[in-house]
Amino acid sequence: MKHIFRHLWLQTLDTWNVFIAELRRIFRDPGVMVIFFLATLAYPVIYKAIYWNEQITDIPVAVVDLSHSPESREFIHKWNAAPEVKVAYSCTSMAEAEQLLRDQKIHGILYVPHDFAAQLADPFGQAHLSLYCDMSSFLYMKGVYLSCNMVMLESMNAIQIDRYEQMGMGKELAWSLVQDAPYTETALFTPTGGYGSFLIPAVLVMILHQTLLFGICMLGGTAREENKELYRLPGRGRGYSVFRLVLGRSAVYFMIYYALAVVLLIAMPRLFNLPHIGQVGDLLRFIVPFLLATIFFSMSMSVFIRNRETGIVLLISTSLIFLFIAGISWPKEMIPDAWRYLSYIIPYTAGAHGFIHINSMGATLWTTRTEYITLWSLSGAYFLITCLLYFFIGKYKEQQKQ
Amino acid sequence: MNYVISIWHVMRRELKQMFARPLYMFASVGVMLLSTFFFITLMRQGNAEKMPMAVVDKDQTAISRRLCHEMQATPSVDICLITSSYSEAREAMQQGHIYGIFVIPESFYDDLVSLKRPQLDFYVTNAYTVGGNTAYKQMLTVANLVSGAFQREVLRKKGMSDDMIMRRIQPLVVEGHMIANPWNNYSIYLVSTILPGILGLVCIMLTIFAIGYELKAQTSHDWLRTAGGNYTVAMIGKLIPYTVMFVVLGFGCYAMMFGFAGFPVYGSHARLLLGLLLYIFAMEAAGISLIGCVPTLRDAISIGALYSMLGFSLSGFTYPVSNMLPPFQALSWLEPLRHYYLIYVNEALMAAPWSNSMVPALSLCAFLLLALIVSPRLHKALVYQNYPLK
Repeated sequence: MKHIFRHLWLQTLDTWNVFIAELRRIFRDPGVMVIFFLATLAYPVIYKAIYWNEQITDIPVAVVDLSHSPESREFIHKWNAAPEVKVAYSCTSMAEAEQLLRDQKIHGILYVPHDFAAQLADPFGQAHLSLYCDMSSFLYMKGVYLSCNMVMLESMNAIQIDRYEQMGMGKELAWSLVQDAPYTETALFTPTGGYGSFLIPAVLVMILHQTLLFGICMLGGTAREENKELYRLPGRGRGYSVFRLVLGRSAVYFMIYYALAVVLLIAMPRLFNLPHIGQVGDLLRFIVPFLLATIFFSMSMSVFIRNRETGIVLLISTSLIFLFIAGISWPKEMIPDAWRYLSYIIPYTAGAHGFIHINSMGATLWTTRTEYITLWSLSGAYFLITCLLYFFIGKYKEQQKQ
Repeated sequence: MNYVISIWHVMRRELKQMFARPLYMFASVGVMLLSTFFFITLMRQGNAEKMPMAVVDKDQTAISRRLCHEMQATPSVDICLITSSYSEAREAMQQGHIYGIFVIPESFYDDLVSLKRPQLDFYVTNAYTVGGNTAYKQMLTVANLVSGAFQREVLRKKGMSDDMIMRRIQPLVVEGHMIANPWNNYSIYLVSTILPGILGLVCIMLTIFAIGYELKAQTSHDWLRTAGGNYTVAMIGKLIPYTVMFVVLGFGCYAMMFGFAGFPVYGSHARLLLGLLLYIFAMEAAGISLIGCVPTLRDAISIGALYSMLGFSLSGFTYPVSNMLPPFQALSWLEPLRHYYLIYVNEALMAAPWSNSMVPALSLCAFLLLALIVSPRLHKALVYQNYPLK
């Protein structure tokens, strides 16, 4: 009995020593400090500043009004009043407007044909407008197209009512015929509906994921370079000491990153006025498996990194691949099956979706259980993988020495 | 003649290093092959189709079921949940299963025919932009169709012909023309800039690494000696193999996008390729400038990573630069990807005259000048090796 306690005590002591050694290594390495602390805290601020204006407003557009009628002027006036666009040019011909578009001075053209007013005046006429959208950016297209369609729907109702009145219907009847099923539209969860509100939560999770990956790879690469005993316990030579190493190290990363995650995922959305309708308690619990999965994922990857800097050189482009494979920017339903299955093994996928569900859409931890369980499973799997890799590399090095 | 031989010696030395370590090939050819394959297959369909949504049908009559049916028949949405409970639909949305909820109120049909104007409600999520947008557009269309369908019935009873009815219901039509991307294809929006962006990452990272490693491993004297002590020869010899590789990768990627995947180019291929070439050179030059300013491999790599990742945001291919705060509008000039994107828009989408691309093209050339300005400092660092190694 005494023997077991002594054994356990020594094991704990070893783990503690690994913990302290790793902590010292991190705080003495300016490169890792820059990634763990500076990058992690500076990136969110930069991204928030880039996407400061949530709405795309005052997109310059041109109109080619050949109708020169009060009706066309009213339509253009209404469109101009929409926050998304600003009628910057009034052209006399399409050629002139096209030139402006080609020079990127405007991002949309509304063409009003000469028979516009006549068609509207005719009780059975149909007036046509042509809208040309600049497709160089999705957000230009969306702003120009939706705002014009909104004005069209609004004007259309007025015209319809006028025409029914001309047919001899009462105003009340005409109104209820045209608006027989009115509708309200509600953007749930993020009322501003801006680009930053959508992208930045996903980016915050990405920053945690990637800085952990790069930082741990840098630590691993440095130790390999300096020929340190990364996969053996320093000094004591009992067994391969895999668990003590993995637990001791991951505890350091977890400790540092739990604090950072609280800043990024809980404080920053509140500070930056991003969506933040989730329960703090749920977030605090959700962060745990996300960090563990990411830490063990990074530790498994770091085994393959031989130099201090190669981790970043090799893995920098994964940031984009992870973002897209997770199905944040591009809907997950549209992702080919093979890629989707692959995305499940990356902690970012479940981490980002879970965070968005809780933080931006007010889901509870119970509602987010799929992602929560996925992350715990990934933590377990990557923990085992890390241990196996450490074990085999330790053994291999041992053999090499002999 | 001497110079040519020296360049050849440096090149041979560099090629040996490139093939001695797997990193170089993995980080260039490997990354580009994977990324190109990934992004082109990822968005092959180009349009968000069959976005899942829910209908909360509190009416449960023939007409509400027909509404569901009509929505289901459109290509853009897929009604995967029909329920009478709004909270069930909301929970499905919070779980990320659906992007929109269409609510048909109780006694919708009765109210409709007795002209009591029942209210339709629809909800979309903004937490996922593309899915939410697609569901929103479809629900808006259907909500407007409802009024149209009802008017049609009433007018038919009055004995109007279908053509007249159509003009009555839709007295005003806006015909949308999507210039250069009539399919509103997302792949064309995104991949056409993301892949050059990743190519840029490869260029800048490997350039920094190839030069910075000489400093870190303290082999820069050997490198300069191979070049006969001439800095220019040393740089040219070192960069030729990489440049050839980047250009081959770039052109291969170009062929995949504008050939295999069929992205449109309405202007000139030659000028767009020239733009790509200048962009590759500019990214290399940016790498040289960085390692020249900060001649420590680790710092230059970290700064290079930050700089080139910001290029994706500052290029403005998703969120327009004109909508950013003024300091970031200014910063966007420092990103080669921004200039390449402008050339791409001019050439591929707008078919604009070449003079429109002059400013971005000259801006890309300015990066080469920057590398020249930093060169004396880099030369000194190579000679004196007076910077920290790690």
